[in-house]
Amino acid sequence: MTVQDVKRTRKTHRARWISLAALVVAGAVVAVLATRPPAQVSEVDTPLLGKAAPAVSGTTLGGGHFDLSSLRGRWVVLNFFASWCPPCQQEEPEMVAFAFHHRQVGSAALVSVVYDDSTSSARSFLARSGATWPAVVDPDGQIAVDYGVRGPPETFLVSPSGKVLVHLDGAVTESALDHWLAAAERGET
Amino acid sequence: MNAALGHTGVLLALVACATGAGVLLYGLLRQRTAVVRSGRIYAFIALAGALLATAAMQRALLTHDFSIVFVAENNSRSTPLLYTITGMWSALAGSILLWGLILTGYIAVMVLRFRRSADDALVGWATLVTYVVAVFFFALMAGPADPFRTVAGAAPTSGLGPNVLLQDNALVAFHPPLLYLGFVGFTIPFAFAVASLVTGRVGELRPGVTWQSITRRWTLFAWGFLTVGIVLGAWWSYQVLGWGGFWAWDPVENASFLPWLCATAYLHSAMVQERRGILRVWNLSLIVSTFSLTILGTFLTRSGVITSVHAFSDSDIGPALLGFFGAVVVVGVGLIAWRGDRLRSAGGIDSPVSREGAFLLNNLLFVAFAFVVLLGTLFPLLYEALDGQQVTVGAPYFDTMTLPIGLALLLLMAIGPALPWRKTNTSTMSDRLIVPATCAVGVIVACVAAGVRGLGPLCAFGLGGFAAAANVRQLVLSSVGSRRRGTGAWRGLVGRANGGMVVHLGVVIIAVALAAATSYGHRSQITLQPGTQATVDGHVIAYDGLARVSSPARTATEALVRVDGQGPYRPAVSQFGSGTDPVGTPAIDSGLLSDVYLTIDTLPSTATGPVGIGVTVQPLVAWLWVGGIVLVIGALLAALPGGRRRPTDPVSAPVPAAAARPDDRDTPGEDNDGSDARTDESSDHSPDLVGTRYR
Repeated sequence: MTVQDVKRTRKTHRARWISLAALVVAGAVVAVLATRPPAQVSEVDTPLLGKAAPAVSGTTLGGGHFDLSSLRGRWVVLNFFASWCPPCQQEEPEMVAFAFHHRQVGSAALVSVVYDDSTSSARSFLARSGATWPAVVDPDGQIAVDYGVRGPPETFLVSPSGKVLVHLDGAVTESALDHWLAAAERGET
Repeated sequence: MNAALGHTGVLLALVACATGAGVLLYGLLRQRTAVVRSGRIYAFIALAGALLATAAMQRALLTHDFSIVFVAENNSRSTPLLYTITGMWSALAGSILLWGLILTGYIAVMVLRFRRSADDALVGWATLVTYVVAVFFFALMAGPADPFRTVAGAAPTSGLGPNVLLQDNALVAFHPPLLYLGFVGFTIPFAFAVASLVTGRVGELRPGVTWQSITRRWTLFAWGFLTVGIVLGAWWSYQVLGWGGFWAWDPVENASFLPWLCATAYLHSAMVQERRGILRVWNLSLIVSTFSLTILGTFLTRSGVITSVHAFSDSDIGPALLGFFGAVVVVGVGLIAWRGDRLRSAGGIDSPVSREGAFLLNNLLFVAFAFVVLLGTLFPLLYEALDGQQVTVGAPYFDTMTLPIGLALLLLMAIGPALPWRKTNTSTMSDRLIVPATCAVGVIVACVAAGVRGLGPLCAFGLGGFAAAANVRQLVLSSVGSRRRGTGAWRGLVGRANGGMVVHLGVVIIAVALAAATSYGHRSQITLQPGTQATVDGHVIAYDGLARVSSPARTATEALVRVDGQGPYRPAVSQFGSGTDPVGTPAIDSGLLSDVYLTIDTLPSTATGPVGIGVTVQPLVAWLWVGGIVLVIGALLAALPGGRRRPTDPVSAPVPAAAARPDDRDTPGEDNDGSDARTDESSDHSPDLVGTRYR
């Protein structure tokens, strides 16, 4: 047996074992990705349900002025968020998709309220995710207090007549928003 | 009409690829050469189908055929021509169509390129693999991501237009197609990797043409496009999104960066295989990883699993992409498990302090880089699955983890090219590194003298100077050598090694710009009355007043701002089309030393009221884009055939007689029926101490 033969015998199957280990890891990752739990969003009670939506008025991150009453006549999805909250980061692309698919004139409008976050982080967060809807700065937290928001993300559905119809807690998805919007339009909330 | 044409095109391509795959499989398994040879014709039918579908889509967009859902959602009558055309890749289904078009284009080019060896089993299997990949993408278009789905009922009279962020900058015409040219281009190396694993051949296709050289060239090609795509993406993000940054470790950015890292590792280790015949299985693994990561990246960013700016459309193709990723991994890794041990070479690395040792370390660093990025991207998903809690992994993780790897790569970039193959000694190295090291020290001293502080950036600048000087030194020596040989000094810039040095210079420029911009960038907010000015980070910002502009596609309120007397620059709040919400549009005063990035933070309530302006001053940002251009030039130079080294030219340290034992020597071809990539080993036994070309 030459030196080469010894070397070859010793290293046989190394590629096989490493490959199999890689396969197991990749398999586990695929399994995790394939069985992701759906986003956790639930409808929760609030004394505001059925009542007139408290005023949302102030400066937007984009530099303009916003007033919720200007959207009377349209369905409004009102979302409280912060750039530091993981579920907010999770729901952001869903909101972007919802806004994109409801961008025709008169369709449901999306409005965000910055919850306990610096203006620059909030602006950077929304800009990076491609959000193009108004986001209202709430420096003293008064809007959040009026809506009884305890922790972001929380989302309210406001009817064209200005009433709070649905209160959602947790990261929303586009399909969840569409579901609640459709239910509200049918008068089922 | 358009929908019918489009569906016909998609189906034609799907059937052609499926038939081609079947024909090739039959021919290869039964070893019918004529059948294998006939398999290539389907590539052209598939390309014709993809072209037909693309033409139908463009026709539908240009004629505003809103009976097609995709057109109704991504086009409107007021959309400008450019964004009407780019509308094809502004949402998912059209992007997949672009993917299919590019893929069939690549397959056709590949089939043409290898027409003379069409009956070779290696080429046959490679073509088969590309057909199977194409079948998957055209099946997506025939099923869940149908770009030609028609609206139920009467067609709407107008569409919605593309996402407003995609109507703001002409870069959308270039960034996605270039990125896709890169992504899709990795299909060909993957196909050849699979083919060589199936056939068990890593050797010559025909004299002088090995699996290795084919794959390296195609990978370089795709890598070049991907590099441009990534740089343009960063540029787009900087120009459009208005947060002043260019790279956010966004999952989509990571998804394009991961294959780039793996392909970069491969481009380096491929040279070790060509030269020394070792690292074969490792290289195959890198190619398989690169392609798998393009699919995983597409899954992560196109299936709504992960948050990102690119998540313009959610879709039902997630499970299909995940399944395809699983299949690619199982096939690729399974083949390596089956064949890998037989393909391995017996040789090893003689000395860790050698060119191949440096390449190996380079590979470990790149793979570690890729692992860090992949972990950061997937960690939130994995953690949530295990713990039920949601976490995020943000820029601090990526910055902290990748900084030391980046610095180590810069150091290696300086030392690696100076190292000879096989082994070295102290005097050779000190000889070659004394000038670059002096440059490094000079750069650091100059920076400190100029008032630059901070350990990280100073390290980056110093190592950047070290690497730049080392690589320039190589280029100069190579050019001088070329001229001396009478082939012209420019010859010293082309070819694999020299082009690589130019690429390194591009990387150094980007690294230095990145370190400067991220370490010394500063954002502030000022409020100005019309006619007043303020000084921010040494720049005088003057506000002249508001202007309203209106065109059919865009209405905007612009603030007229002068920076150091130049301008006016026009940061704006723009509205694209009617009924959409206004978005901020930044304006940038770009200079060689620093960029002043302007956004409107607060619009005045009256035309004469005070405006809130966001001012971000970042040094050297423009050099990021310059570095990108240098990278591409380097890649082009590397793709050109360099001057062949004469077999008598010495390139390596000598092999002492005592070291020339069979087990110590790299013995190409000993374990794969003698058909290994034959490298210029003869020169390794030359008595010369140092080479002329790689000095």
